[in-house]
Amino acid sequence: MLKYFTKATLIVLALVQFNFLFGQETEKEDEKKDYGRFYGGIESNMQYYIKDEGLESAIVPDDPFRSNNYLYANYNYKRWTAGLQVESYEPNALLNYNPQFEGTNLGIFYVNYKDEKWNVTLGHFYEQFGNGMIFRAWEDRALGINSAVRGARVKFSPNYNMDFTAFYGRQRSGFSVNSGDLFGFDANFFLAEYLNLYEKNQDLSIGFSYLGRYESLEKYPQLENPTYNDLTNAYSLRADYLIGSFYANAEVNYKSKDGILNIQNTLTDDFARTGNAVTLNFGYSISGLGLDVSLRRVENMGFFTPREPSTFTDFQGDQSTSFDYLDSFVNFVPALTKQHHSLLANIYVFQAQQNTSFEDPILMRAGETGGQIDFFYEFKEKSFFGGKYGTNVYLNFSTWYNLPGVYTFNPPDYDVDFFGRGNKYFSDYSIEIKKKLDESWHLGFNYINQYYDQRLLGGGDLVRADIISSEATYNFNSKQSIRLELEKMWAVGDREDWVGGTIEFNLNENLSVYVWDIWNYGSKKESEQIHYVNVGGAYRIGAYRVAVNYGRQRGGLVCVGGVCRFVPESSGFTLNFNTSF
Amino acid sequence: MRFILLFFLIVSTQTFSQEKMPNLTVKDLQNKPVHINNDFNETDKIYVFSFWATWCAPCISELEAISEHYSEWSEELNMEVIAVSTDDSRTQRRVRPLLNGKNWPYQVLMDTNQELKRALSIVNIPYMVVVKNQKIELIFNGYTQGAEDELYQSLKAL
Repeated sequence: MLKYFTKATLIVLALVQFNFLFGQETEKEDEKKDYGRFYGGIESNMQYYIKDEGLESAIVPDDPFRSNNYLYANYNYKRWTAGLQVESYEPNALLNYNPQFEGTNLGIFYVNYKDEKWNVTLGHFYEQFGNGMIFRAWEDRALGINSAVRGARVKFSPNYNMDFTAFYGRQRSGFSVNSGDLFGFDANFFLAEYLNLYEKNQDLSIGFSYLGRYESLEKYPQLENPTYNDLTNAYSLRADYLIGSFYANAEVNYKSKDGILNIQNTLTDDFARTGNAVTLNFGYSISGLGLDVSLRRVENMGFFTPREPSTFTDFQGDQSTSFDYLDSFVNFVPALTKQHHSLLANIYVFQAQQNTSFEDPILMRAGETGGQIDFFYEFKEKSFFGGKYGTNVYLNFSTWYNLPGVYTFNPPDYDVDFFGRGNKYFSDYSIEIKKKLDESWHLGFNYINQYYDQRLLGGGDLVRADIISSEATYNFNSKQSIRLELEKMWAVGDREDWVGGTIEFNLNENLSVYVWDIWNYGSKKESEQIHYVNVGGAYRIGAYRVAVNYGRQRGGLVCVGGVCRFVPESSGFTLNFNTSF
Repeated sequence: MRFILLFFLIVSTQTFSQEKMPNLTVKDLQNKPVHINNDFNETDKIYVFSFWATWCAPCISELEAISEHYSEWSEELNMEVIAVSTDDSRTQRRVRPLLNGKNWPYQVLMDTNQELKRALSIVNIPYMVVVKNQKIELIFNGYTQGAEDELYQSLKAL
């Protein structure tokens, strides 16, 4: 039924716009009434998968042409706005997206009223409380995430020093919603004015959030006498403080006792614990120098609705669960690591370990603890390292461990300490130097050292890697430039050494073309010594962008903003198009 | 049939160009709400909203290139660049040290749940929206070396 409604909406929209197309031409400027505003965007990502003799493990589905398309349309008139998002996965969604994304249907719809103090939404909305550790409803099309809440939300801001949010709803999953009701409340207070802090060059704000997830446990027939309730309560308390060039913020999160999934992703009566997360961030920042330190300890903060994931079987007979598609996550715990733009540095990417997972008597974890340090420095012009235009240096250190303590496999239990570190999951130390030599030359250099223990993170080896990458951009004139990047990874473990290179040529402000290749020459298995070559280009004008790519996709994690999605090995053509209106 | 409809939609939506910025408030670095329309309404002043993130190298190159010319441009034209960071809670802590490490003169807004980015249907960054007298005049997406000169010429023509 909804499918016909969607098709009808599309046709009506098209007719309305067609009408406006001719209607607007006949109106005179000074007679224009306020008809309101119509706006939105279109995005289309298409892929054609091909058979590739050089890439044995490439997945080639029977229907090789797939596309993900989005049409976002909104209408605003004075204080009212209404909008919808139609999504079309035809004939099928791109590989490894949520199997519930199929066909064409209405994904998002809402009506909103907003004035100076009130903001009320009925329908779907996106929201985040604090850092998102207890709740985040967001969209990321590249990751295939859309966890918008469908329900009602009220935001009230009596003055600019405080705001309150309350909502009730269910989170979106595919084209419907997940079972499990969510109740949320959030309050933020900006205290600087009340405490006269501005004159002392200080600032202070505090916030408090609550999120309740109600799901009847009768849904799980295996539970006879669970030690936890239908309603799970999560709380968050945070404070932000600034004094002169120093700043500090802290956030504490707590989740009430809730069942923990076992290795078969099912609940049991007794394996249930509370969860908590503590984040401390502080830094110092003056002109030409910036330092930021983040420390975070997360214990048992997997927060799902429904509690047990759905399972799917694909065309190859492989099983997967909702978690593989980042579906049913109520909260958002990103990995606090640096996003490198070098190709080889993105082979071993760390995903935050917020869940409690007891896979076997050796692999047991209850969370993660660790931190990250960022240091930015600018050597000024005319100084020794600065040269004529100055030099920018950026250091980053990040390291993550399991929680230390005693873990028992049968019956599953853990007793972890607050301070201290358990087994090391991951570390990444890097230095990045950027220098403008003159009007024509820009140079960059990166050294990255990575430690990635696959044995603790899904299986594999312990990998230690050193990566060097250097980059040069040459401007022919104010319109044309060429960029060359060369990189090499020395690694022990897993696929061992790689080498890579990129050439990107910008013909003018609108058109760029590129070719890049990463070659796993060092692998012990001959079948893995592959060149992953890609060639393509992008054309941009105003709000339009079209991009094409032809080449091989390395199977592995693709991460956007610290959240990762597994992408299968494949070969083929890609076409991306987007615009806004 | 579906593609005909899609093509038709794309063509007909071109009559609309988003005239005004969305009616939203975004927090600044001090967590204060800034209203996108009301707080940027000085008559005949050119506001350049540049969407970036700490992990986006071309965005940083673009803002770096503009900062080198910013003082001379601001003398010739009544303009202001507002750098809207789309960093979410993973990387938003990196914004302040990066800004100071790079010495940028811009006002920075934090669009941490991407509300403004979504309202403008922005998919890829860097993305720039030029506003004058509350009306969207120009849009640029992507950045290549030297594009800041073209930007300046377009701003002068407004």
